[in-house]
Formats: sequence, structure tokens, C-alpha cells
Amino acid sequence: MNKRILIVEDDVHISKIIKMNLNLVHYETTEAYDGYEALEAIKHGKYDLILLDIMIPRMDGFALMERIKSYQIPVIFLTAKNSVFDKVKGLKLGADDYIVKPFEAIELLARIETVLRRYGHGDSVIEFKSVKVYIEKREVTVNGDAVELTPKEFDLLVVLIKNKNIALSREQFLDKVWGGDYFGETRTVDMHIKSVRKKLNLQDYIKTIYKIGYRLEE
Amino acid sequence: MKFWQKIYLFSIMAFIVVFNLASIMVIERNHSKMLQQEINNTLSENMSINSSVSAIIPLLRIYDSNEYEKSVLTNIANEFVDKNSHSNIYLEIVDDERRTIYSNKDSGKLSTNMPSDRKELVDLQANEIKYILRDIDDRTFLFTANITEINNKKYTFTYIKEVTPLYEERIDQYRFFVKVDIGACLIYMVVMFFISKGLTKPIDKMIRTAKDIAQGNFSERVQLKSKDEIGILATNFNAMAVVVEAKINELELHNSEKQRFIDNFTHELKTPLTSIIGYANYLKVTKYNEEIFVDGLQVIYSEAKRLESLSIKLMDLILLKEDQFQMVTENLNDLIIEMESSLKMRAASKNIKIITTCDQCSLKLEKDLIKVLIFNLVDNAIKASNELESITIRTFESDGNCVLEVADNGIGIPSDHIDKIFEPFYMADKARTRNNNGAGLGLSICQAVAGIHHATIEVISEINRGTTIRVVFQQRNWQDEVNE
Repeated sequence: MNKRILIVEDDVHISKIIKMNLNLVHYETTEAYDGYEALEAIKHGKYDLILLDIMIPRMDGFALMERIKSYQIPVIFLTAKNSVFDKVKGLKLGADDYIVKPFEAIELLARIETVLRRYGHGDSVIEFKSVKVYIEKREVTVNGDAVELTPKEFDLLVVLIKNKNIALSREQFLDKVWGGDYFGETRTVDMHIKSVRKKLNLQDYIKTIYKIGYRLEE
Repeated sequence: MKFWQKIYLFSIMAFIVVFNLASIMVIERNHSKMLQQEINNTLSENMSINSSVSAIIPLLRIYDSNEYEKSVLTNIANEFVDKNSHSNIYLEIVDDERRTIYSNKDSGKLSTNMPSDRKELVDLQANEIKYILRDIDDRTFLFTANITEINNKKYTFTYIKEVTPLYEERIDQYRFFVKVDIGACLIYMVVMFFISKGLTKPIDKMIRTAKDIAQGNFSERVQLKSKDEIGILATNFNAMAVVVEAKINELELHNSEKQRFIDNFTHELKTPLTSIIGYANYLKVTKYNEEIFVDGLQVIYSEAKRLESLSIKLMDLILLKEDQFQMVTENLNDLIIEMESSLKMRAASKNIKIITTCDQCSLKLEKDLIKVLIFNLVDNAIKASNELESITIRTFESDGNCVLEVADNGIGIPSDHIDKIFEPFYMADKARTRNNNGAGLGLSICQAVAGIHHATIEVISEINRGTTIRVVFQQRNWQDEVNE
């Protein structure tokens, strides 16, 4: 059962690129291009999360926030405005997070995931082909057989699956797995990728992307 | 120290000083007058003794006997003393050998304390009268002395009167005055307290208002109705507050305009950037897919073009703020003829006809700017028009002013948008504007150009019937400027 996300954004191109990125990692998306359309969609559909642009026609994001409080759906604001005032106002109205345009896709995905987890909509089990990852128990099975991974290999695998179909650079892997304050060698990433491929039989799926990094492809 | 306290203290101090000085002067003058009167009385009494003695001198001459003189003088003296027995008076008669002929000193309070030093008797001449005030014990006496010659003998008459009551009276007055003084001061203090408080009340009011204003309530005013200096101060203070409030409002308006401009600009800048970055990143990190690849590049290209046109327009807008342009007298008509072909080409893409009916109309203008203005107006008209419609460009004179008019039969502008269309980044229909690579800056630029030429822009629009935009070049303003 994939998560459903409502994208409320008046700019067609931006709406589309968000949709494309979300679809890559198997979120289901619905697009609304103004406040009323969004309100209708929320009334008639079930959504796990709303991405909400503030400057939308017919009813702005803040007004919409007020109207949909009762639905208790997590909301992430998207806005071009960088002012602290807007930020505070948004969070006061019950937004869960705030992303300033222009944003990176990977950043958006990470925040969506964080908010979902906070609401208990996070996955405890994620799958890729025959690989099953039990996040809380930190266990991995391939075709039902447990496979031993080191903590870092496990974390790397989770990042790969959560960003499937998206190429990440070695620096991004370092940042997400080893943490921002780790100034390691990018070769460390290569070594861990190698061992994850081997242990889980993912040689065909974890692709090395020229000049960029690695991508888990379905 | 507060102002009311100053008024209070200084007035009380002044009151005490003046009141006391005045009262003391009155009491003292009163006392000295009484004393003078008493002295005069005493002297005349003395003289009356003398004259009664002088009256009997011929008799005494007949009987040239000391004993007789003595008894006569004693008689006169006794009689006099008896007559005035109600008041404390003493008489002493001494002959030239300093023998006392008569004295009633012993009968009264002067018995033992007669001073030995009698200054008034020194160098006393005949027909002269001297007097002196003496304090004996705690009493005061007035001594008067004179000499009368009888049979070549000099008799010294000393006539003494007690004046203690006068001094007692004075002290009594002082005692009374102290009571009055304290009472008056107390009453004055109470009255003055309310007066000084009352006088400074408006000042307190102004202080409160000033504090209010300082805390940002710029619409606060002092409510005072008095016509005195404080009232005038309050009036001026209010006038100042009005000016300050107006200035602040102007600043805030200006600021919010600026803020809106920045917000809109940010939005207009970030929207294409978000798309460009998003698509470029998507194409970079995902598996190649021809359809997505082409679409993505198309978006990147068109959004970048939009950014380009935004930056050009913005540059124009910024340059227009510079305000240093060479104005040359030109014929508006020639300018339009010059632009006609390019405008027609632009319109041909939508099969729109451009009709020009231009009268001769000369005015001072900056050629390139006016071209930008005309281009923008025609461009808007083309965007608002449907295929096969026509656009009319006219120039004519009215009231001695040159008028440039661009009219279309297009979709029109909703009336609630008309007053906002000149705001930078304002778009009545965002989607349509963006599809045309617009950023909502065209009319802002037109307005800036019009401003430089002292022209006003009028908009007449009806939904689905079309829009007419008139630029009226105010010739008079030019004349004024030249005359200055």
C-alpha cells in the first residue's frame, strides 16, 4: 500500500517535477493547482501528507491550512519566501515542516519521510525485489533468509532503497550514512556499496553512474 | 525634582519671605510711631511742668529764699504727679549743687536702680530739653531732662515715664503674628499644592501622550482645551504628531510596497529556478528516458527564457529609476511609423491587424523609452486579443496635450484589478501571463516611462469588449519646467 501525497502548487512545471520525483520512490500523487481544488481533493480523498505552496490562487496556503486542520493530515509548506515571519506563521498554523524553493529532490524526499515517520506512517518494513529490511529490528532477509550486515552497510542499504531510481553522489551517501561531521574518504562508500551488492545479490540493481555515484534501479 | 514641586516650593519660599518681611515692617513701624508719640507726649508734659514753674518765677523772685523755692517746686511737682498718678511717671528736681529738691522715685519701681550714668544731663543747656530711653532691669523708661533758671540758680528737672507697655505691646503683636504666620503658611501650602498640581496637570497629560506615541501609538493626540502656553504647546505637539504619523505611514506604505516588490520578485525568480533545478537534477539522477528527457529540456529551456526576459525587464525598470534622459522634440507620429513594421510582424503571428491613425503631434521625448512604452502596450494588446481581431493605435491632440492611444477588442481587465495592474509583478491572470513569458513588469515599465515624460496613463476596460489605454502627455508641465 503506497503512501498518497497531495501536491498543491500552481506552477505546472514545479508541480510536475515534484510528482515525477515522488513517483520514482513509489509515492502516489494527486495534483491540485489552487486552494479550492486542494480543499475539494482533501474532502474527497485520503492523503497521508500534503505538500502545500503558500502563494496559490483563489485561497492561499495559510487560509487552506485553517480550513483543513480538522483532517489532521501532516503538511509541508513549499514557498519562495524566505522570511522568518512566514516560517513562524506556517509552523504556528500547524505545518510540520517548511521547504524554501528552489529545493533539491533528495531533500524533499528526506523531509517527507521524516514527517511521515513522526506521524507513525513510517514504514517498519521496506522491500526491494527479494530483499526485506526490518528497520526497527535492523534485520535484513533475502528470500526469507537472514543476512548479516554491519551497521553502516545496513544504513547504506536503507538509503539506497528509500531513494531508489535516484542517483546519489558519494558525498550524499557519506552525509546520510556517516553523518554530516564525518570527513571520510569517498572510497569508504565504494567499499560498502561493494559489500552490500555482494551480500544481497544486488549486483544487477545497484548501478554505478558515471561521474555521479550510485543508483538502485528497479 | 518635579515641576509642580518646583512651583510649590519656590512660591512657598517667596511667600514666607515676603509675608514675614512685610508683617515685621508693619509691626516695627507701628511700634516706632507709638514710641514717638509717647516721647512727644512726655516732652510736652515736661514742658508743661516747666511752664507752670516759669509762671511762678516772678513770685519766687519776690521771696528770694531757697526754702520757699523748694516748697513751691515740691508743691507743683506733687500736684503734677498726683494728677498723673494713673501712669507711672516720676519727677526729679535737682539744684545746681546736685541736691535733690524733689523726687518720687522711691515710690515706684525706680527706687534702687537709678542709673548713675546720666548722659542726658551732660552739657545740658538752659532752654534745651533732652531725652533718652533706658532699660532698667526688664523695664524701659523714657528720661526727659531740662534746666530752668530761678534766681540765678539752675534747677534740673528730670521727668521720667515708663514706656514698658509699648514694648510689651510690640512683643504681643509679634506673638500674635507668629500664630497668624503659621496659619497663613499652612493655608497657602494647601492652596498652592492644588494650584501647582492643577497647573502642571496638562503637562502630565502631554508626558503620557508622548510616552504613548513613543511606544508606537502614532495616532495618539493630547486632549487639551486651554488657551494658555501649555495649550499652544499641546496644539503644536499634536501638529507635530500628525506630521510624524503621516511620515511614518508614508514610510510604512513605501516599505510594504518595497517588501511586496521583493516578495514578488523573489517569487518570480524562484519559480523558474525551482523548475530548472528540479528538472536538471531529475535528468541527472534518473535513468535516461527519451520522452522525459525532451520534456525536461523543453521546460528547462522555456523557464530559462522566462528568467532572461525577467532580468531584461527588471534592468529596464531599474534604469528607468535613474532619471537622466536626453529629451528631444520629436513627432510621435514619425515614431509610430518607424515601429509599424515590427509591430505588424509581432501581431501577424496571431493574425491580428494593426490599424494606425496618427495626427501630427510634437513633443519632447526620449525616443527609445517611448518605443519601449509603445511596444509594451501593443504587446499587451496582442496578448489580450484573439485571432483575427484588430488593434488600433492613435495619436491626437486634446486640450493642447498629445495623446497616444492603444485599443484592442480583447478579453479586457476585471474592474477590481485595474488599480493594481501598474504594480510590478502584478498579474491579473498569472497562468496566461506566464505562458506568454511575462513577469507582470510591462505596465510598471510603461508607468515609469510615462512618469519620466510627465504623462498620465488612463485605462478604460470592459470584460470581453476590449481595453483602451491612453497616455496623455501633459504639455503644460513641460512649459512650467522650461519657465523655471
